[in-house]
Parts: sequence; C-alpha cells; structure tokens
Amino acid sequence: MRSHTNDRLKGTLDLLVLTVLASRGKMHGFAITLQIEEISENVLRLEEGSLYPALHRMTQAGWLKSEWGLSDSNRRARYYAITAAGRKQLAEETQEWSQLTSAVARVLSLA
Amino acid sequence: MSWFNRFANLFRRENVDAELDEELQFHFHERTRKNINAGMNAEVAQHDAMRRFGNPTLAKERAHEMNIVMSIETIGRDLSYALRSLRNSPGFTTVAILTLALGFAANTAVFTVVNGVLLRPLPFPEPGRLFLISYQSKQRTFENQPGLYDRDYLEYEKHNQAFERIATFNEDSATLTGAGDAAREPTAMVTSSFFSVLQVRSAMGRTFLPEEELKGNNHVAVLSDKIWHDRFGANPNILGKAITLDGMEYSVVGIMPPGFTFPHTPAFWLPLAVGADPGNTYIRPVVGRLRPSVSRQQALAELESFAQHQPPGPGERREDMIAEILPLNDLLVAKVRKSLLIFMGAVAFVLLIACANVANLLLMRGTVRQREIAVRNALGASRGRVIRQLLTESVLLALCGSIAGILLAIFGVRALLALAPAMGVPRLQEVHIDARVLTFAVALGAIMGILFGLVPALQATGNRIRDFLNLSGPTATARRQRLRSALVISEIALALILLSGAGLMLKSFMHMRTVDPGFRTENILTMTVDLPDSTYPTTPAIQAFHSRILEKLSSVPGIIDASAVNWMPLQPALVRGDFHLESGRKLPRGYVVAKPAVSPDYFRVMGIRVLQGRGFAGRDNTTAPSVAIVTQSVAKTLWPGEDPIGKRITLEDNPQAKDWLTIVGVVDDVRQQILTDQPQPAIYQPLQQVTRPFFLSHMSYVVRTAQSPQSVAAALRNVLQGVDPGQPVEIAALTDLVDANISETRFQTRLISTFSILALLLAAIGIYGVLAYAVTERKREIGIRMALGAKKSDVAFMLLKGTLVLVMAGVVLGGCGAVLLTRVLGKFLFEVRPTDPVTFLSVTAVLAVTGIIAGLLPAQRASTVDPVVALRSE
Repeated sequence: MRSHTNDRLKGTLDLLVLTVLASRGKMHGFAITLQIEEISENVLRLEEGSLYPALHRMTQAGWLKSEWGLSDSNRRARYYAITAAGRKQLAEETQEWSQLTSAVARVLSLA
Repeated sequence: MSWFNRFANLFRRENVDAELDEELQFHFHERTRKNINAGMNAEVAQHDAMRRFGNPTLAKERAHEMNIVMSIETIGRDLSYALRSLRNSPGFTTVAILTLALGFAANTAVFTVVNGVLLRPLPFPEPGRLFLISYQSKQRTFENQPGLYDRDYLEYEKHNQAFERIATFNEDSATLTGAGDAAREPTAMVTSSFFSVLQVRSAMGRTFLPEEELKGNNHVAVLSDKIWHDRFGANPNILGKAITLDGMEYSVVGIMPPGFTFPHTPAFWLPLAVGADPGNTYIRPVVGRLRPSVSRQQALAELESFAQHQPPGPGERREDMIAEILPLNDLLVAKVRKSLLIFMGAVAFVLLIACANVANLLLMRGTVRQREIAVRNALGASRGRVIRQLLTESVLLALCGSIAGILLAIFGVRALLALAPAMGVPRLQEVHIDARVLTFAVALGAIMGILFGLVPALQATGNRIRDFLNLSGPTATARRQRLRSALVISEIALALILLSGAGLMLKSFMHMRTVDPGFRTENILTMTVDLPDSTYPTTPAIQAFHSRILEKLSSVPGIIDASAVNWMPLQPALVRGDFHLESGRKLPRGYVVAKPAVSPDYFRVMGIRVLQGRGFAGRDNTTAPSVAIVTQSVAKTLWPGEDPIGKRITLEDNPQAKDWLTIVGVVDDVRQQILTDQPQPAIYQPLQQVTRPFFLSHMSYVVRTAQSPQSVAAALRNVLQGVDPGQPVEIAALTDLVDANISETRFQTRLISTFSILALLLAAIGIYGVLAYAVTERKREIGIRMALGAKKSDVAFMLLKGTLVLVMAGVVLGGCGAVLLTRVLGKFLFEVRPTDPVTFLSVTAVLAVTGIIAGLLPAQRASTVDPVVALRSE
C-alpha cells in the first residue's frame, strides 16, 4: 500500500494529533510526527511542516496546552498536552469519523 | 552546512516570533539527527528532513496566522491582518483587484467627464445665480437654443426686477488676417454687459464700454488668452493695436484670462448692438445674474407675466410660446446631458457585475476560511467582531481596486477625450480628474467594498461554529451555492441589458452608415470661403471672385468637374425659409425649404438626378430670365398631379418683377441638414442670378476628382491663394464632412460596445468561477455518481445543464430589464426600435454561447474526476 500524502489527511489531522496526545501525554511536535508514522505503520505520512499550524490552532482553540521544556537531546522544545476540552472534542470527532467511514463503506459496497 | 543555512534563513526571513522559529528548527534538527543515526551522511540526512518537512514558510505563516487570530483588537490590527491575509492569497487578491479596477476605471473615467461637463459649476463667481432667459415657440422648425427675440430682450432689460443685469450674445466667426496665415476663427458677439453679468475681468486691458456697442465705436476686440498666445506671441504691446478681422480693423482693448472660454471657445469677443428695428427677428441666448433675494421661481413668474404683453414672433401662436428660466450650463450641455447619463448608467452596470464577481470570490474564500473563522469564534470572538474583520478585508480590496481604477482612468479619460467628436461635447477643456472625482472614486470603493463584502461575511459567520469545525456540512454548501447562483444570474442579466443597448446602438449605427444622402460623396473635394464685406462689398465683386475661382479650377489637371454651392448639404449651417407662389396660394403651415444657390455643374458633380425639365446652364445669367429648380417633394407638395415646369415662385416677401423665378426643372431630394432625417425640400437658384451678398459670400467649391480627392488639395489651395491670399484655406473631402454627421453616434456606439464587452467578459469570468468552484465542492457527489455508473459525458452534461439554467434565468431577467431600460436609447436610435427583436435574440445568443463556453471548462474538468480519489478525499 502506498503512503497517503498529506492533503488526503486534511480534516483527520486534528483527530490523529488528539488521539496520540490523549494516549501518550506530553510530547513535542517531532515526537508526535514519529508517533503517527509508527502507529499507522508509515501509511499516514505527514508533510511534517503542516503539523505546526494545526498544533497552534488547536492550542488557540483550547484543546491543547503547550510549554517549553528540554528534549532528550538536551535542546529547548515546545511540548504539547491535551486538555479537557480537547478530550471532549476528540470524542465528538471520533464519533463523526466512524459515522462517515461506515457511510462511505456502505456506499462502496452498494456501488 | 550551506543547505542548513539556507534552510535556516527561510525561518529568519520575516519578523515572526522567535519561538515559532525555534520550534520548527527543533523539529528539523531532530529529524536530521534521526536520519544520521539511521546511517545517512549529513547532507542526505538534511535533504531528507527538508523534503519531509514540506514548505517551511507556509507552515510558519499558517502557524503564525493561527496565533494572530487572538490578538486582533483594533482597526489598525484589522487592517494589517487584512493586508497579510490578502497577501497570503495573491491569486485571489490579484483577480479581485483587477476585476474591481476595470469596473472602477470605467466609472471614474465616465464620471470625470460627467463632472467636468455637467457637474462642475461654470468658472464664474456665484455661478448659481446665472440663468438663461428664454421666451420662444416650442414649435420652431430649428432645434434652437434657449433665447429671446431681440425686441423682447430690449423690453425685458428695461422692465425686469429679478435680475441685476442681463446680457445677450451670439456666436459667429471671422477671418483673421495679418497675423500669420489667414484663418477662420470663432468669435462671440456680446453686449457690453456680458462680462459684468458673468463677473469676469480681463487679464489685461479692459472689456467693452456701453458706448462701444454703437456703430462707429464698435471696432474694438477682446482677445482670448489662447489666440493671444497662438497668433500674437503673447505680446502685451498688442493692447491698443489694430488687428484685421474680415478685412476690417479692430482695436484690441483687452485680453481675457486663460480659463475664460464662454460661450464656447471664441478667439475674439466683439461688441454687439441689439437693434430695435421691427424687421429684426433674431433670437439670441440671454444670460442674467439673479438678484440675491430673488428665487428662480420668482424670476420665472415675472418673466411669464412680462411675456403676456409681448407679441408672439412672426407666424407663431401665443399658445405655442413658452417662458423659461434655465441654469446657464444648459446652454452648453442640454444636448449631451442625456447621453452622458446613459453612459454613467452603463458603467454602473459594469461595476455591479465586477462587484458581483468579487462577492462570489469572497463567498468561495469564505468557505475555504471557515476553519479560521470557526477558531476565532471558538476563542470567543463575537460574530460582529469577525464580520468587521471580513469587511475590513473587502473594503481594503475595494479601495485597492478603486486606486488601481483611478490610475487606469487617467488613461481612460484621455482615450475618451480622444474618441469624442470634436464638436459633440462642450467644456471638454474642463475635463480632468479633480478632488470631486477622487472623492467619488474612493467613496464608491468604500461603499462597494461594504456592499459586496457584507453578504459573504454574513454567510461565512452565520452558521453554527460546529458546522465549520466538523467536515463541511451539506446545507451550508447548498445555501452558498444558491447565493452564488443568484449573483451569477444578476451578472448575466446586467450584461444582457448592456449588450442589448450596445446591439441597438450598433444596428442603428450600421443603418446610418448605409443611408444614401441622395448625392455622391466619393472623389469629391470641397473648399469653403467666407468673403468679408469689407473686401468684397458688392454683388459683382463677389460674383467675379467665384467666376475666377471656378474658371481656374476647371483647368486644374485631375479635376473632372468644378462647381459651387453656397450652403453644402449636411453641414452645420443651412439657410432655410419660406417662399411665395404666383397663384397666391398659401404654403402649408410651417413649410420651409433649403435655398441653395448653385453653379450649373453642381447637379452633375454631386450626382443629383434631374427628373424633369433641365438643369441650370451657363445661359442662366444676370441678363436672362430668373429661373429656379425645385426638388421632387416640393413639386409633389405644391402641385400634386400638375406639371411644375413653368410655374412661378418668389423667395422675396415684397417681390419685384425680376424676383419671380420660373421653374425650369425638378431634381431629386437630398438629405440637406441631418443625415438621419428624411430628405428635405429645396429650391435651387443659379448662382449668377442671385443678388443678395448674404447668399453669395459663404461659398463652397465642390470638385469631382479623377483620383483620390486629396490629390488635388494642393492645387485648390494654390488657386485660392492665387486669387486672394487673404482667404483662409478650408479644404475637406466630402466623405469626411458627411462622416462628421455620424461621428457622435460612432462615439456613443464605440463606448457602449466597449462597456458591454467588458460586462460580457466579467460575466463570463463569473460563470466560470462559480462552476469551477462548484466542481471542486461537489467532487464527492460527482465521485459517487461516477462510482454508481454515471458516464463522463453524463457528469459534464449535468454541470452544463446547471450553466444553462443560470444563463436562462439571467437572460429572462435581463430581457425584462432590457425591454424596460433600452427605451432610454429611443432618441439615439435610427431606424431601430428600442424593442427590436432581432437585436434581442442576437445578444441573447451571444450571451448564451459565452456562458456555455465559460461553463465548458469546469464541466470538462468534472468529467475527469477519479471516483476513487474523490471519495477518499474527505
């Protein structure tokens, strides 16, 4: 299976980031990137730069909080963590996602 | 490390917050490190990190945008945000500004002309108190300017209480000699009160004294600034010196300031004495300066009661007479006002279409930006706050458009003035972009920005926040689609109205082009002279002059035939009047004929057919019996069923024996005065038998040439200067003279066609935009349809059907509008009715074809949608 490019992930990026942060706690952007790649076994490969607008947007929306800390490599990095509002949002988006995918699956099986 | 530096520089390039830079650089650094650990060399590792990262500038700006959302609080920030936002989508911004610039440029250019001609007050002190005074018959045969009979003027001057002073004037021309080449210059004959009524002073010297109206004192002249510069080297010593006009000396008493050109653009003002003799039936414009305490209505009431006691003009009935007090500017602009206002309306349509296009673009952009807006809403920005931000953006867009429009309009105004017929539009010298025009353009920009920005802003912010944060909801999409369709329908409707107007004008113009004036125009050159009384005081002297010229012309190689006529047909000046029948029978009421005096060869040169009897011959001279030739319509009107040959008429009111003219022939009617009028009746006299100098001193020599008319122009000049070097040379091909009759229509047709093509283009762009966007938006639906077995052609047809529905709706709406609105063109149309069905059908077809072509491209693209890709894209 070939890797999916970023634009096809539009709309699902929020979902992925929230999911990763909900299960793993505090992480910096690069770690989130690696995590998404790893879990999806490299099927979902981000254009890595596009992660940051999403992180900032979700931070502004109150779903994430961020703070600066030191990384394993001893460099300053911005760490993100999910908030309560973020968890609520995650629940809603997860539900809608499964609704959509099952609807598409039904259509495809009929066609 | 050059790669790294270059990459890092990208981060530093703009003044963005350092933390964001650091965060992104951290990511890049970590990815590179990971790659090296995986065994890549440093360069490959960095390369890979960059590739994976994608566009760092984009990431940075987007992230930055997300942060900036929070901090907008003031208009200033709104503005800088709007600027940034527009800069971030250069494609959208360019298309929107260009579209608006076209619309604004057309409006600004036309408004500049309207402003200079109609709105800007005449350049006199307190111009609001200057009025024209008019009392004359509504039924006058000539389309006249407002004015008073001379006798009424003299009475009114004595008795009126409403005006401080009144003045009268008329326009004329005179031959200037002794200052370079002899030339015919426009003059204005004015009473001595003229300058004080207008309250203008001379720049040098003085204006006229009351006693200078009287014979003996009246050889004084005031010069325009322009002629003073052009012909007298701006020499101040000219004051008190004599200049020669029509062979007579006038002493220069004053020079007017540069801006003063009233009534039109005279080179000289000369004193006018208004005669009180009972035979004087001259009507001249009269201008008065109203007393400050008197209103226009009061002045009119006074004029009406005054008029009760004045007798109507000869042959006129009191019930046809009308008294009027009109703004002074009417004298100059009454004729062009309507066409200028129509142009203003036409360009307003173009602007509306442009704005509809931009509103559509904003609607689409609103869809794209729904997440950004939703984030702001989620962060607590009120709906009003977000609308304000979106309006700031649209107003900014509109203002950029209007500024670009003003720049374009500078060229537009030049083009307009270059195209405008020289005599057609008055006050052209006053047309330029001034503060009022700038205010107009900028205010229009702001208003339009709010107008076309409001609906998209309401639309973009009107839905619940959740709709945006979730995947795009189908209801919102449908609503936006409807709104966009409505905008496109109105664009099509507006474009159709404009196209109909242009189509009608074009058809009318084509009709005019093919009008047969009744005479030949090809290969004919004309030369016109105005012989001054001073040099040619007697009839024999004038006759001798014409004979010599004609004789010399006939021996010029290249000239087939030479002839002369005192007033050429289809020229501004034409002498018409009544006449008397020998039988004593009265003429039909208001029946007037043109009275050209012609040399024997005139009919042959002009190709006017002699239908009955004979043409004139050399033997019709002073000693022979007086003869005349009438046109066919005269013969039919006066002697229906009879033979007109041998009937006798006279052009004199108190005829002597020799004034009775025997009709010897009948010729075809020609269009004498206006190309688009019916041919007018005329009574021709042989030149040699005409005795009044008035009918002889203005003469056009009309020659038929073997080759192109201009080939003998130099020869004509030599002939004239050989006979009298003091005569100005006025040579023109007859085709050009006749063409001048339709120059105004040509100008109007060109202008309105340009506007309507602009409208058509903008509408086409609008249709294209909406369809292209619909295709993108409906990709999923199209994908499903295709997955369900729809063929490519089915999908393309479905979308084209959508276009057709839009076009049809627009055409129906526009058709109704056009039927209502093209009526205003009625006066300008020739042999075309404002509701001409052929024109309407043709422009509808043009519009429909354009619409379909504009819709084809998106439809074609839709049919290439890959259902698998489309279904997975969301």
